[in-house]
Amino acid sequence: MVGYTFLLILLLSAVGFVLNRNAAQELRAGGSRLHSLPVFHGGYALALAGLPALIFVLLWLMFEGSFVSALVRASLPAEAVAGLGAGELSLIMAEVQQTASGLIFGEPAQYVRDAAAYYNTLHSISDWAMFALVLFILAGGIFLARRSVATEFRARQRVEKVLSGLMIFASVIAIFTTIGIVASLVFEAARFFALVPITDFLFGTAWEPQIAIRPDQIAGAGAFGWLPVILGTLVITFIALLVAVPVGLLSAIYLNEFASPLLRKIAKPILEVLAGVPTVVYGFFAILVVAPALRSFGGDTLGLPISPNTALAAGSVMGVMLIPFISSFADDALTAVPRSMRDGSLALGATQSETVLKVLFPAAIPGIVGGVLLAVSRAIGETMIVVMAAGLIATLTINPLDSVTTVTVQIVTLLIGDTSFDNPKTLAAFALGLMLFIVTLALNVVALRVVRKYRELYD
Amino acid sequence: MQDAITNALAIKVACDKVNVHYGDTHAIKDVSIDIQDKTVTAFIGPSGCGKSTFLRCINRMNDTIDICKVTGRIELEGDDIYDAGIDPVQLRARVGMVFQKPNPFPKSIYDNVAYGPRIHGIAAGKAELDEIVESALRKAALWNEVKDRLQSPGTGLSGGQQQRLCIARAIATAPEVLLMDEPCSALDPIATAQVEDLIHELRENYSVVIVTHSMQQAARVSQKTAFFHLGFMPEYDDTEKIFSNPSDKRTQDYITGRFG
Ligand SMILES: Nc1ncnc2c1ncn2[C@@H]1O[C@H](COP(=O)(O)OP(=O)(O)O)[C@@H](O)[C@H]1O
Ligand SMILES: [Mg+2]
Repeated sequence: MVGYTFLLILLLSAVGFVLNRNAAQELRAGGSRLHSLPVFHGGYALALAGLPALIFVLLWLMFEGSFVSALVRASLPAEAVAGLGAGELSLIMAEVQQTASGLIFGEPAQYVRDAAAYYNTLHSISDWAMFALVLFILAGGIFLARRSVATEFRARQRVEKVLSGLMIFASVIAIFTTIGIVASLVFEAARFFALVPITDFLFGTAWEPQIAIRPDQIAGAGAFGWLPVILGTLVITFIALLVAVPVGLLSAIYLNEFASPLLRKIAKPILEVLAGVPTVVYGFFAILVVAPALRSFGGDTLGLPISPNTALAAGSVMGVMLIPFISSFADDALTAVPRSMRDGSLALGATQSETVLKVLFPAAIPGIVGGVLLAVSRAIGETMIVVMAAGLIATLTINPLDSVTTVTVQIVTLLIGDTSFDNPKTLAAFALGLMLFIVTLALNVVALRVVRKYRELYD
Repeated sequence: MQDAITNALAIKVACDKVNVHYGDTHAIKDVSIDIQDKTVTAFIGPSGCGKSTFLRCINRMNDTIDICKVTGRIELEGDDIYDAGIDPVQLRARVGMVFQKPNPFPKSIYDNVAYGPRIHGIAAGKAELDEIVESALRKAALWNEVKDRLQSPGTGLSGGQQQRLCIARAIATAPEVLLMDEPCSALDPIATAQVEDLIHELRENYSVVIVTHSMQQAARVSQKTAFFHLGFMPEYDDTEKIFSNPSDKRTQDYITGRFG
């Protein structure tokens, strides 16, 4: 029914559009100079009929559920619900709803069956009422819009107002979801900090997020110092950048400045394929290829102490993942340097490589720095590769051959499995998430600053 | 009197039957011209007739355009510049170029001017480099305006100052020939007058070739003028002669504004 309602809105709005446009066209054919083009008259009808109907349906659907539930709950026999708490009542309501939608487990009580039937009746009444009202609204909108068609009518201004309203609405949605996400993070993190002092979290050097199952358990108290975790993230990020930045930059420079057009044509899509590889696959690559290779080479051949899950393996594979990211940013930045710079340098007797190194590269730095900082953000937030290839134990180390864990890995492990959202172990994930958010936000702000500073210098 | 002087000057660049093709477009057709030392030579003609193309032949900037093919012979002081033994990079150090649109590098004023000398290792030390930069900026009549802010970006200068900076950058490498492709087309009248004064002075040391779409400018700054038309060069003579008594009908039509 809801689907039909939306179809109805679509159809009748289109009808309104055509009616109004044709009416305006007729006016114009009759020799009058219209203030607005016929399409705007059509658009006005579309907006006047479709928008209120759409808003109405959305509001209706929003309140329908709770309204129907309230009626059904009131209809439950008094002896069946007497003395029940809110939790038990909502269990009964859930059973009613499941029965109503045909999902019957076991033998529901008779009053539940009755309530389910009542529930279905109410819903179909509500649906029909909605359909009828929407039809009425649409007809009214079309009628009003059709009456307004006149040479002097400023349909264009109105349509533009509606459009700008829609754009404002869209940006408001974007902003509010962001605010909502941040707010939920902050809220949950605040609950965590009520249980664990914030100073312990920020400056603690031990991360052992377990909680006692029995009060008398040995070593039952967890430790929630995030330093080893964030240090692990930073170590892996650093290794990733060590791989990605030189390789990405040099390949971009080579492809942009030195490669023959044919090679460029072949190599660029290959690089882009690298960007399309799912991170899970990179994870496989890290545990099945890179980590064993490191162990057999570093451990067996060189005799270095190498743990099974090394920061080096996870970081270098993450670096490979970031190569296309950096090279495409650098490529864009280099391409954007005007040809006149190149010519100016060549005309002074500079060689191709001098030109790249001394003129093109510095001119492209804003774009490149922006790309690198965004890559850092991605590396810090990257989850899949590290979940698969980095360790789980938080050790306070910067040795790339050791096993480290990262913020994202810890968030995942804290939330996996059966969790209750009232103990520090689970809530710690939100605190970590909040910190991650703050770090990446700060990085992005710095990235924008840097880019702007260079822009000022070079524009 | 002037004829006597100019004719006595040595030939700097000798071009013989130069042809240029861009793919299928035949842009320069059998152009032969002897460009004198210590002379300003102007290239005039309707747009699209090949002035820039021909200018770029002289420092082999056409090499940077893939589809461009140059044939014929161009000699700089007797050496064939298209000879396999000639490195275009070294040639361009001897034949400087100033472009239509000012194109300072995104570097400080000082680094812009020092760019060429640094690349070619002209200066022995910091002091000598400072000297070269100062003298180039002085020759380009820019020194007084920028001497207090040599470290600020060259891109922050006004259009006329930027173009003079580009000229300073070109002369800092001490070229023998200076090619200028409509150097004043992006400038206001005051900046144009400054650049023209500058060209006048440059003539004492260099052979200057300037492309211009303004006949007044050609008449003001040049001693020799070459007229280009549809890839040909119908006439090349003393500027005075070209503007007072051209021998070719097409030149006459162009001078009197019949086309272009
Ligand atoms: N890079 C290029 N690629 C292809 N054709 C070009 C290129 N540059 C110039 N041409 C062609 O060569 C001819 C001469 O151009 P140009 O030398 O720029 O003329 P001018 O400087 O006298 O206005 C024109 O027909 C133009 O279309
Ligand atoms: Mg030109």
